[in-house]
Amino acid sequence: MSSLLQVEHVSKIFGGLKAVEDVSLHVEEGELVALIGPNGAGKTTLFNALTGVSPATEGTVTFNGVSLDKKKPYQVAKMGIARTFQNIRLFHQLSVRENLQAAMTHRYKEDFVSSILRLPTFTKKEALVNGWTDEILAKLDLSAVGDTITANLPYGTQRRVEIARAVASDPKLIFLDEPAAGMNPEETADLTALIRRLQSEFGLTVVLIEHDMSLVMNLAERIYVLEHGKLIAEGTPAEIQNNDAVITAYLGGGVHA
Amino acid sequence: MTKKKLQANSLWLLVMIIGFVVINLLVYVGVIDSFIENMLVTIGINIILATGLNLIIGFSGQFSLGHAGFMAIGAYATGIILQTVPTVGGFIGSIIVGIVIAIIAAIIVGVPTLRLSGDYLAIATMGAAEIIRVVINNMKITNGAAGLFNIPQFATWPVVYALVCVTTIVIVNFAHSRAGRAIQAIRDDEIAAEAVGVNPTKWKLAAFVLGAATAAIGGSLHASYIQTIAPSDFGIMNSIALLIIVVLGGVGSMTGTFLAAIVLGVLDTVLQSFGTLRMVIYAVALIVIMVFKPSGLLGRYEFSFARVLNRHKKEDAA
Repeated sequence: MSSLLQVEHVSKIFGGLKAVEDVSLHVEEGELVALIGPNGAGKTTLFNALTGVSPATEGTVTFNGVSLDKKKPYQVAKMGIARTFQNIRLFHQLSVRENLQAAMTHRYKEDFVSSILRLPTFTKKEALVNGWTDEILAKLDLSAVGDTITANLPYGTQRRVEIARAVASDPKLIFLDEPAAGMNPEETADLTALIRRLQSEFGLTVVLIEHDMSLVMNLAERIYVLEHGKLIAEGTPAEIQNNDAVITAYLGGGVHA
Repeated sequence: MTKKKLQANSLWLLVMIIGFVVINLLVYVGVIDSFIENMLVTIGINIILATGLNLIIGFSGQFSLGHAGFMAIGAYATGIILQTVPTVGGFIGSIIVGIVIAIIAAIIVGVPTLRLSGDYLAIATMGAAEIIRVVINNMKITNGAAGLFNIPQFATWPVVYALVCVTTIVIVNFAHSRAGRAIQAIRDDEIAAEAVGVNPTKWKLAAFVLGAATAAIGGSLHASYIQTIAPSDFGIMNSIALLIIVVLGGVGSMTGTFLAAIVLGVLDTVLQSFGTLRMVIYAVALIVIMVFKPSGLLGRYEFSFARVLNRHKKEDAA
């Protein structure tokens, strides 16, 4: 029970459709886990259930020993779970700096009076926040675009900013929903290095949904495979590559690799 | 960094004082007669009302059409209190009472309606403002549809000028703080904002309440300056008139709101000699501006002394 994230018998039912059915999994602190599966397998639905965006119909989720049941997304985020989205969701009218700082609002308090009157406590807090921002920008090689409005950035950089924003919320665990989608091989290579650094340098636990198998096999320490909402396999990349159920799910029955 | 900020802030203070002195001088010399003074006060009150609305619409992204309702609360608080306590203290007290009631009303209206978005929210807030108006229309203390007369005049133009400065500072500083970043994040993407720990209900309500409080201040000044108020002064068309200022100036630009309030105020006054043709010219002017500048006069541009100083420094270095 010492797992950072413990998911037990989680189901998500939309009307008559069981999008996720009786999924149990666990993620240990500091691990890099991938969640794969064919399109429509329920990967993003599972992410949404875990982060409170659309709560699970059944089952329990425990994070760091605390139950996530009935927690709103922002409460889940405050507990230390950050995420990125399959289709980028940046604060597009704000600069990169402001995007990161918007993710830091729960890390400090700033009362109304001192921010209106610009009291020394306010200046001190702003300096602190600017310090955090500079640090993350520098570490993720985004210093050059700090003041650019995010809508004007190239796609690959936007992905990077989204990861930076997730890091800015000071999480323990980060969910990455298809971070390599739409990226060219060069950008994917950069991304692979970046995800590795999230684990090693920032000490984050990473859970990753991805279709790019080279990236998954390269990065993941453990892989869960979902199909039709059910968990069909779990194991190391080598085990998954030779798992018959997984090969059947991806290539169809009767094919033997 | 801090030194530059101090410089920029001192410059703003200087602008405020110079503005005050110049207008005072012009009044003294006689260039500004009561006609122009009336225009200046109207512009000032509109700035107070529209900056609050811009905070709600431009910064927190909540499309509210109920601003006149909160204005009515402030106006009637001042009207009623000043008729019984016609002193400066009564005036200040009435503004505070108006703000408090407007905040309570904004919370009651905001908690259920801020779950809505876009057109739905606009209709809900419009309905809420109508409820406020109808309640005022049917109460004894507000003198029903006839309204209040002979409200003592304490809202002279220096008072209005000072309050324009105060409310603008409050709103701009609010928009450029932790709170401002939270509400702008919600405006751009509510789901993403929630995923990084921003409580959308709380921050949307905070912006809505602050906007309502400034609307109450505007209403108080209106009541004490015009000296006559009636429920029909606070109908849907008044909310839309304020919306026009915000949209024309540029949604999300406080500088734009100032500019639009001044342009429309001057236009309104200049066109008074045209009689019935006035509304036609006014409408055409609005259409022309919206055709050629659909994002408003200034878009999202914000004037900043800090930036001007920075540019100056860079040119010096180059």
